Amino acid sequence: MILCTGTLDEVDTLPSMLIVDQTKCTGCRICELACSAKKEGVFRPSLARLKVVRYDDLGVDIPNVCGPCEEAPCVEVCPVYAMRRDPISRMTFLDEDKCILCKSCAGACVNGVIRLDTSRMRILKCDHCGGDPECAKACPTGAIQYATAAQASVLSRHDKITGYLREIRRTAQTQESGGES
Amino acid sequence: MKPGGYAGRILRADLNRRDFRVEPVPSEWVAEYIGGDGFAARILYDEVPAKADPLGEKNRLILATGPVTGTLWPMSGRTVFISKSPLTGIWGESHVGGFIGPELKYAGYDVLVIEGRAEKPVYVSICDQDLEIINASDLWGLKTDEVSAAIRSRHNDPDVQVAAIGPAGERCVRFASVIVNNARAAGRTGMGAVLGSKNVKAIAVRGHQGIAVNDHERFVELANDAHRRVRQNPQAQQMHKYGTWVLTAVKQTIGELPTYNHRTGVFSGWEKLSGDYIRPRYTIGDRACFGCSLGCKKVNYIREGPYAGTLEEGPEYEGLMAFGSLLGISDFPTALRANQICNRLGVDMISAGSCIAFATEAFQNGLIDSKMTGGIDLEWGNSEQALRLLDMIGNRTGFGDLLAEGSREASRRIGRGSEQFAIHVKGLEVSGQDGRTHRSIGLSHATGARGADHLRSLVTVDQLGYQEVAAKRWGCDKLPEIVDPYTEKYKAAAVVETENTYCIRDALIVCWYSVSWPPIFWMEDFAQMLPVLTGVSRFGERKNLIEIAERQVTLKRLFNAREGISRKDDTLPKRFTVDPMPEGPGKGQKVNLEPMLNDYYRLRGWDEITGLPTEETVRRLTLEWTHSHSASS
Ligand code: SF4
Ligand code: SF4
Repeated sequence: MILCTGTLDEVDTLPSMLIVDQTKCTGCRICELACSAKKEGVFRPSLARLKVVRYDDLGVDIPNVCGPCEEAPCVEVCPVYAMRRDPISRMTFLDEDKCILCKSCAGACVNGVIRLDTSRMRILKCDHCGGDPECAKACPTGAIQYATAAQASVLSRHDKITGYLREIRRTAQTQESGGES
Repeated sequence: MKPGGYAGRILRADLNRRDFRVEPVPSEWVAEYIGGDGFAARILYDEVPAKADPLGEKNRLILATGPVTGTLWPMSGRTVFISKSPLTGIWGESHVGGFIGPELKYAGYDVLVIEGRAEKPVYVSICDQDLEIINASDLWGLKTDEVSAAIRSRHNDPDVQVAAIGPAGERCVRFASVIVNNARAAGRTGMGAVLGSKNVKAIAVRGHQGIAVNDHERFVELANDAHRRVRQNPQAQQMHKYGTWVLTAVKQTIGELPTYNHRTGVFSGWEKLSGDYIRPRYTIGDRACFGCSLGCKKVNYIREGPYAGTLEEGPEYEGLMAFGSLLGISDFPTALRANQICNRLGVDMISAGSCIAFATEAFQNGLIDSKMTGGIDLEWGNSEQALRLLDMIGNRTGFGDLLAEGSREASRRIGRGSEQFAIHVKGLEVSGQDGRTHRSIGLSHATGARGADHLRSLVTVDQLGYQEVAAKRWGCDKLPEIVDPYTEKYKAAAVVETENTYCIRDALIVCWYSVSWPPIFWMEDFAQMLPVLTGVSRFGERKNLIEIAERQVTLKRLFNAREGISRKDDTLPKRFTVDPMPEGPGKGQKVNLEPMLNDYYRLRGWDEITGLPTEETVRRLTLEWTHSHSASS
């Protein structure tokens, strides 16, 4: 149960963000397709503003989206203040006119979702589709949701995934020490 | 103007000269074939001479996509490997999900054709315009998952999509598979052996370009709506939960679960092979292929017992059947482990299980002995034995070397009447159905272009008794016979109509499960979507799509005819036509193939006596160009 301590007004103004539950993700990459379709007008996952990383050996798929970042390294690192943060929505955004294409933000992004489009020489940066993100709408499993932190059901996900990885590592070790291949 | 959805280019990798050529897709091909299987059939017929050795230099290996591949339309991640089959000597093809098809499109190519033969092991590397044939000596001998990992790390990019062969492909096991994403198999008809014979260990693809469609906004609207239909479809929801394992219980109920080398259609141990049993005990994750909102792939993990620690995606129903009921084994961990071995060694699970079942029955009947098997006393229900034999097949060691030739050839070499236990059509081992309790599949197995095949024309409407769908699709006048699985009547009509739709499916290319039981999409949906996608307005009419499908079926038939196939080869094992079903709901049933064949040929415009396309049909389908490649060449 979530205890709500603030007033209604405060809850209303809590910023929404893209919240990922990787245990639900099937790795279908529909989110990447939907993103590129909306932003680029073609189907081109390499220019999507989010990135699903698939681990075929583990059978695990992890969507990487923009945020939530308490500290935003892309903003910190930008030398010309082209990358900034909206004080109300808390969303980081790129002011393309100011951008000098130094690519620092792409390197700094902890989620690896800021990219350089080498064909048109510009930085690609998620803008949460102005508050109506296409990826969250397209995701068939609910693995990406657009919600406030309080609304999100992410509490158990880390336990689940770490427990799972631990189990795999354990059996891999047993296999190495004597098990057959 | 280039039609929407296509990259518009064919890439050719010439192994002899170690270089590449890029050609435009001939513009008339789009209207005549759409793509996928259609393009590949056009190329294969044209370029592989009659009677060419499937494992020889003249054979081609084609990797084809269609205009839907890589777009937002549901289940657009499928792709197809096509070649002359080393298992059957005729038309070979195997569709696979995963991600390599879309990646090829993003790299800028609709089709990849691999020609010739490399002197030393290589892999074909495609990254947009950067094309390379790279030495793969260090990869030779590796299992498929190791190949993918090695190539991804060499290219320093986890998004490189790799199609790899394992040791089985290298050793030209006749039913060697090609594996993508570690656990998706282009399993059937030995496409892995073709790559192995060419010394190609893998195909690695990375693409960064986009696919533009004709009317983007409208297409996205249609695609989103189509995804909604997938998500709301109750059968699709079941499939998301249990994958194809839903079928075990269905098959058992109607008495069509192949058991003990297809001797019977009911299996006492079926429950442990059913979705209800497996999911809560073993499934730890759900996965999907590219662009799929259904997500039928299950990641499974065995916690205890002899196969503890096995972590693998799959198997499908067919794998459960092949290493379950077919061998009398009632144990999911065995099937999962078998699936893992098949994936890593690169072996088709259906043919492998079927070859072991053949050997077991031959052994039980005293036609082979333990001297021949290297000391293995073959028996039903022995997991350890089945896995050992599988390993021997994949590595071609001992007795496995004989089984690696496929059940037709193995039985021919063994002789002594063992042929009766080799359950195949045209050399392809029969998949997990039985014509005795499902007549239309009997016809499908007999007429399928690649042999005993459930994917070319499996009618589910009769099997599951969907009266309304049947009435809508084939007319009320054909009820009730057309939905009666025990009568031959009207079955050819159902098979032809279904085969036509599946041809379009395989030209687009979309996944089987979007048109399977009961279909989420059918011809009319494709007719609505295709003009929006491509801008080709003639695709908007059902009759044009049917003609394209007929062309595809007939062209594949002409390919097989050139190899000597005719009506005499459109048969079923005696097990289905002479031996009645011994027990279960379909007890006493058997297939009477001839009347169904007559109907089928008539509907196809093929000669009833020879089973070959008539001259008039060839002309109607504008296939006269095939005349210049006669059998004598
Ligand atoms: S659409 Fe959803 S389920 Fe599919 S890859 Fe993206 S986050 Fe995962
Ligand atoms: S239904 Fe299954 S096989 Fe088909 S595309 Fe989806 S996940 Fe892949």
